[in-house]
Amino acid sequence: MRPANSYTLYWMGVTFLLFPILILLGIYMRTVQAGGLAGTVTWFYPMMTLHGVGMVGVWYVAAMACAADILGRYTEPSPAVRGLALGGTLVGVLLLLACVFLGKFAGGWYFLYPLPFKGEWPAWSAVAFLLSLTVLGATWLVWTLDLLRAIAKKYTLTQALGWHYLAGRDEPAIPPSIMIITVSLIAGVAALAAGVIVLVLFYQELFTGAASDALMVKNLTFFFGHTLVNLAMYLGVAAAYEVLPQYAGRPWKANKIVAISWNTVLLIVLFAYFHHLYMDFVQPGTLQYIGQIASYASAIPAAVVTIFGALLLVYRARMRWNLASLLFFLGLIGWAVGGMGAVIDSTISANVRLHNTLWVPAHFHTYMLAGLVFLVFAYFYHCSQEAAAEPERAGRQKLVSVLMVAGAYGFFLMFYLSGAYSVPRRFATYPAELAHGGAFSAIAAVFATVFLVGFLLYLAETGSRWYKAMQTAS
Amino acid sequence: MGIRLLIGACAVILSLAAQGAAPGVSVQESRLIDRAVPDIPLQLADGRSVQISELWRDRPLLVTFFYRRCSGVCIPFLEWVRNATREAGGIGGDYRVLALSFDDADTASDVAAQAAALGLRDSPHWFFAVANREALARITGALDFWHRYDPARRQYEHNALIVGIEDGRVMRALVASGVEGGRMRELVWELRGSFIPFYAVPGQTALSCFTFDAVSGETRLDWGMLLLMLPALLALAAAVGIFALGSRRNRGGMKTIAPGGAWITSHR
Ligand code: HEM
Ligand SMILES: [Cu+2]
Repeated sequence: MRPANSYTLYWMGVTFLLFPILILLGIYMRTVQAGGLAGTVTWFYPMMTLHGVGMVGVWYVAAMACAADILGRYTEPSPAVRGLALGGTLVGVLLLLACVFLGKFAGGWYFLYPLPFKGEWPAWSAVAFLLSLTVLGATWLVWTLDLLRAIAKKYTLTQALGWHYLAGRDEPAIPPSIMIITVSLIAGVAALAAGVIVLVLFYQELFTGAASDALMVKNLTFFFGHTLVNLAMYLGVAAAYEVLPQYAGRPWKANKIVAISWNTVLLIVLFAYFHHLYMDFVQPGTLQYIGQIASYASAIPAAVVTIFGALLLVYRARMRWNLASLLFFLGLIGWAVGGMGAVIDSTISANVRLHNTLWVPAHFHTYMLAGLVFLVFAYFYHCSQEAAAEPERAGRQKLVSVLMVAGAYGFFLMFYLSGAYSVPRRFATYPAELAHGGAFSAIAAVFATVFLVGFLLYLAETGSRWYKAMQTAS
Repeated sequence: MGIRLLIGACAVILSLAAQGAAPGVSVQESRLIDRAVPDIPLQLADGRSVQISELWRDRPLLVTFFYRRCSGVCIPFLEWVRNATREAGGIGGDYRVLALSFDDADTASDVAAQAAALGLRDSPHWFFAVANREALARITGALDFWHRYDPARRQYEHNALIVGIEDGRVMRALVASGVEGGRMRELVWELRGSFIPFYAVPGQTALSCFTFDAVSGETRLDWGMLLLMLPALLALAAAVGIFALGSRRNRGGMKTIAPGGAWITSHR
């Protein structure tokens, strides 16, 4: 028995509430793209916006909640800030719901400048959207800074980043999760700061009418958006480093290689977002090359070291397989598979074909849904099971995993195929030339429903434990 | 608190940079990019008949419009184009120039006289030409070249336009109200085979990402791109600051779990 932290449990509640709604929006989109529900097509883009911002936001906070929970094992994140994070996120979500449902705001999840000012929606809904992002961004920035403060209470910066491993010393031993979380949080400060600057530029135009350079705002927007999503993934990976050893019965220690790979991430991750601007012919060429190199360097070393480390950990170990360890493992695989799709897409010569096709949603859904979501689900299940200590039924847990994996990968496959056959992303309905896009969508909707069923079973498994954990929470 | 400081800092940077903003490229110009130019028949100053496509067949063609009896901007403008191309270099080897009269009353000998007046009659790289009414309507229509005859003054009201054409498509255009030396040089750089990035910006922008130095032909990063460094610097400062503060408080006396050993305590 190990009582669970009540904030972690609240975050689990929020995630379990919002995720199925956002999945339904996803299934709705694929249905419209398959030609169904034709009367509702004007809702496609508002729902796409809600789905995108909602999913990115939910999984970012869920990953942050895991990070905060892990840090709680070593040091003390401030309870007040944890409360603020929860409250601020809820306010942001309410504003978002208002602008999308009442104002039909549909600027897409990265609200590319100057689109929010140019759409068919009322001006107030664009303002509500910007306010929502402002509240979320400010809250998350405070949260990030507090978690860094908590780490700083116990470790020096060089310890937390594992620089002594680089110098060849093994003492003091730093948990790899701390190293990864530190790297991610520092990158997170940069991402959120970029978001703040973007919002300042938007407000400036709103209040003074002074326009901004669209290229610059696009750069800043992806600095914010890409980096945030990227490091949410890394926080999920940190959870795997932290918990998987418990199931393998042996430690997963930091060493020089681990330290090198994650410090590379810190050095490089802020430059990877340039790959979102490959098609912007005015972007200076040097930055495009930096983008390709940084995309590789921020993904490949960390992923290879992690996957290799995980395999070594499990190899010939007396592994205890349950829903948590299974999902951790599947999550790392999903990260690798999606990462492969991402590396292909971040290669300039391939991006020429794949840019803004459904290949893009294909790869990021792979590492988000089959990567981050699985890792966070693993951690959530792990925490509630540790607190509830209920008997586990292996058959049912396998069924949950099989349904989620089959549903997810079937759904991804349709995205990948569509992308390879030049179906563009963000088309509510497909013209006759792209009729194959509609057929892929119909199949994808079925697979997504299978995933949803798997998720509901997962919820049944975890929910009862979560409820029990609530009674004993600290 | 931190955020307010940040916003304050950004506002200062923005207002500083706003003062140095450069004039934008007009939307009218960027709309012309990649337009197909109709292949019209021309009569050159020496009396030869050619298709315009023969002039752009093996190298880009710079096209500008004028008419002989203009008492306004045409003649000074042609002089300016002549001087600008001389300064920027590359004419002949890299591109040719066509000065096309848009007044169908002009004859080949009229434009020949104009070429002579500009000292360009013997230049093998300059072509002065006239075209029939229907051909003129097609090309001026395709290039959005605005002109209107005013019978009272017996003059045309018109724009001044310079268009770079490669393989029958517009690669770059300058509408004269915005023409200054630097932009003309950019156009010539393009004609000579370099890619000079530019894009239309609605109104004035506070910060731009890069500037093009027309004399050296280099694209240089501007303050807008430097603003991209700011988040990284802030993150660095935040990390160093927070950890510096943390080290002043007593460290390590909090939880008893040895780092790296957490898995043991919770592993059953
Ligand atoms: C079963 C679950 C899911 C389904 C059925 C689903 C479905 C979809 C669909 C159909 C689109 C629109 C694709 C297009 O035509 O452009 C989309 C976009 C998107 N999805 Fe999901 N998705 C799911 C899970 C997720 C998750 C877990 C995330 C996590 C981050 C996510 C983030 C996004 C984002 C950011 C967009 C882009 C929105 C935009 O283009 O502005 N989705 N999703
Ligand atoms: Cu004139």
